[in-house]
Amino acid sequence: MSTPTDDQDVYSIETSGLTKVFAKKRHRGILGFLRRETEKEKSKNEKTDALTLALDHVNLKVRAGELFGLLGPNGAGKTTLVKCLATILIPDEGTAAVNGYDVMKETTMVRASIGLVVGGERTLYWKLTARDNLMYFASLYKMPRAEAKKRVNEILEIMNLRDRADERLEDYSTGMRQKVAIARALLHNPPVLLLDEPTLGLDPTFSRQIRSQIRDLCRNQGKTILLATHYMYEADELCDRVAIINNGQIAAVDSPNRLKAMVREKELVEITCVNPPLGIEAELRALCPKVEIVMLVQGDEATARPARIKMMGEEAEESVGTVIDALRKKRVQITSLNVGMPTLEDVFIKLTGGAKLTEGTENEKERHEAE
Amino acid sequence: MKKNTNQVRKLGMVSSPTGFTWANVKAELRAIWESNVKQWKIELAYPLSFIRQCISPVFFLLPYLIYGLALMGGGYSPNLQALVGTGDIVTFIFTGYIIMGFISTAVFAMGFSIRNEQWFGTLESIYITPTNRLSIVLGTALHSTVHQGISVIVEFSIIYAIFGLGLKMTGILPALVIFALMMFALYGFGIVISALSLLLKEGYIVSEGLASVMTILSPVAYPLLVLPEVARNASFIFPTAPGLIGIRTFLLQDYRPEVLGNMFLALLVLDAAWILFGSLIFRLADHYVRKRGSLEKY
Amino acid sequence: MTQSSLGTNLFVVWNEVKKNIKFLLAYPIVFVFWGIFPIFWFIPFILQGEALVGGLSSQAFAQIAGTPDFVPFVVIGSVLNSYVLSSLYGMGESIRREAYQGTLDYVLASPCNKAYILIGKAVSESLTSTIFAVSQLAISILFFGIELTVGVIAPILFILILLVLGLYGIALMLAALSLRFKQAHDLAHTLEYVFYLFSPVRYPVESLPFWAQLLGKLLPLTYALIAVRALLLLKQGLSAVYVEILVLLVLDVALILVGFYMFNWMENKTKKSGMISQY
Repeated sequence: MSTPTDDQDVYSIETSGLTKVFAKKRHRGILGFLRRETEKEKSKNEKTDALTLALDHVNLKVRAGELFGLLGPNGAGKTTLVKCLATILIPDEGTAAVNGYDVMKETTMVRASIGLVVGGERTLYWKLTARDNLMYFASLYKMPRAEAKKRVNEILEIMNLRDRADERLEDYSTGMRQKVAIARALLHNPPVLLLDEPTLGLDPTFSRQIRSQIRDLCRNQGKTILLATHYMYEADELCDRVAIINNGQIAAVDSPNRLKAMVREKELVEITCVNPPLGIEAELRALCPKVEIVMLVQGDEATARPARIKMMGEEAEESVGTVIDALRKKRVQITSLNVGMPTLEDVFIKLTGGAKLTEGTENEKERHEAE
Repeated sequence: MKKNTNQVRKLGMVSSPTGFTWANVKAELRAIWESNVKQWKIELAYPLSFIRQCISPVFFLLPYLIYGLALMGGGYSPNLQALVGTGDIVTFIFTGYIIMGFISTAVFAMGFSIRNEQWFGTLESIYITPTNRLSIVLGTALHSTVHQGISVIVEFSIIYAIFGLGLKMTGILPALVIFALMMFALYGFGIVISALSLLLKEGYIVSEGLASVMTILSPVAYPLLVLPEVARNASFIFPTAPGLIGIRTFLLQDYRPEVLGNMFLALLVLDAAWILFGSLIFRLADHYVRKRGSLEKY
Repeated sequence: MTQSSLGTNLFVVWNEVKKNIKFLLAYPIVFVFWGIFPIFWFIPFILQGEALVGGLSSQAFAQIAGTPDFVPFVVIGSVLNSYVLSSLYGMGESIRREAYQGTLDYVLASPCNKAYILIGKAVSESLTSTIFAVSQLAISILFFGIELTVGVIAPILFILILLVLGLYGIALMLAALSLRFKQAHDLAHTLEYVFYLFSPVRYPVESLPFWAQLLGKLLPLTYALIAVRALLLLKQGLSAVYVEILVLLVLDVALILVGFYMFNWMENKTKKSGMISQY
């Protein structure tokens, strides 16, 4: 691990060569063990039996007081990394430190230093009130009773939950439950917050509130925040620096603007069309070999959602005509054509060799733009 | 990874009691208490279920008694008297059966405390706090013990009203001491079950199996003398055997212990053994699931 | 498509059975466990009997049970009682599992008649219960002195089918309640206690006070146990138990009719209130 040389190089989170491997489980059913495997099945099973490299020698440094984004699609390794830092998961190789404490040797101090917020509804006791939930977790954070009571009231006030603090969580909306989850993470005033998709499944109003709170916690309260998300715009909007992660590896780390500058010299064209035939992406790539062509969103006739095709490269604008002709020959209706500024999405595609985003990201972007 | 003192000064300072300090012990005791309170609050959110669970042990005790009475045509068994000095079927079985409820505490309440948190989805949230996991398990144990205590009062009232009971009231205090010693060892056993439930998704199978074995090897509804010698010797692995013999010694009129020896001493040894063993197994299981990454998988 | 043919409905039943069996087979240890484990539950009773009586037969017991051999008496009670447990908990648990997994909404929104889905659940529960019961019985024959002749197999199966039908009716009522009341499993537990205490699972019904005997005589398990024990232990023929079989039939019809009616009524009521799958 590095030795800090000046005041700016103080790291709240540091990992070095962090690696985590999971063994895949193959299900063959109750009588599967009686069957002999054929050669074909054996070689197929060898692949599926392979280990999953969830984190591949990850090196990361997050400065104290920084809002650091961890951006990647589902299955990239974000949650695995967060869990390793939160001491829930033991890495197989490498080291990590949070707030100066080793995650494997000083687990109690690491746990006292962090607050964790994950997306999803079931992380609290629904049959208890918000106040009961918070008082309980305050005791698990070893807060003396009087201090816990005072702090719980404070937190409920900050999160605008005071009026409904004595109602059961089962009567809360999803967004309110997530607020309680954030309140819990802040109870013991930890210097480091680990947020794993905190706005997952929330409507735009609550998502915006939560993002605003995240910003406030970092800027005004000086907390170090590691935000794992697959929402590009969220990372773009909030983070001081972003690490792009895919297949367990960090592809790049820098500020959002500098990351976007990596593709600024390239041309970007986006075509929106209705019902392109399957396999069109491969055909277009064959027609324009010097251009990166990615079908970002497949499109859905039933919901009238158009497909989006992105073209990147130095000859992207030049190749637009070829692509449009090819689409028209297939009787594809083109609804719009844009030459755009790069986004983190473009950076991601460039760095990961054209790996697709989830369609959920596209819907979230539309909702975010509508806010 | 060395901590640089400059780095420490710039990072957010945290304080959390650790180790064998009074502050830490107090904090862990508070966590145990609050886990217990939490369990009560959740349980009392289902009042019908709470009432049912307080009464239900009677429905499983009564068949033992009615069966015994049907076999003998009355409440007295000469064979039982020949074995243990007392032929009072009802009192003998009652004193045995109330312990069964506490076997439940160890196996099911403690054993499934972690599984229940997985089911709620709260296990990871608990795991990232600085409190020792065992405090959560012991909190559940405390809740269940008190719950069983309520059930015992209900059982006593009903059985006394229907059948009458021949108990020595002067023996209650020493019986309670034996009971407390037995419970410590049962808690250790419960911690083992808790560790197994962390490791195995179908851990309830092992728990049910162990609970049944423990029940068969414990002199709940029959003296140990009925068991083959091998089983009789094996029964002393579990605290319920010396516990029941000790409790009956103090509570039953004319009772002659089926196994001679100092039950206090036996229980002290079992306490140390089960608590140490349980803590070790739990630590290993905890490390294993965190390594495997299956903590939150129900 | 508003009318379903019998073939379509049976197809629904078949698929429901297939799904539930596959679900169970995904846990092979569970499968093996329930075929063996329930034996541990009656061993304490056998040992208790030995301790009280000083042997394996009791004349006092014979006066009310008709046989001095309490071991096979208890074993048969235990095996049949396992049907009660799977009926009371199996269907309700199946519905709760659907709600927990989030599939209940989709099942109920489908156009098929829900009664056939429930029949499918009940059939799969009965199939697995029968497999478990056969396994337990086989072990009991080997180790606990139960004698089984070929001639009694068919009559016993017939009585078991009647028992299961009656339990289906009760299970339907519980399933109906679990749609609306999330604590319906408490009712299932209470029914389990009632069956256990008032049916002759461990002791003859005559051991109970008169009022308790009357309650026992309302339960299908009571008649099934009396009939099966008459065939297996007392070596009587089917004609000796025709009263018990008749009463079982009447109970079955009543329980199934009430069960179906309650389920349909409750399903409509909860759909209107929107509380159908709040788990």
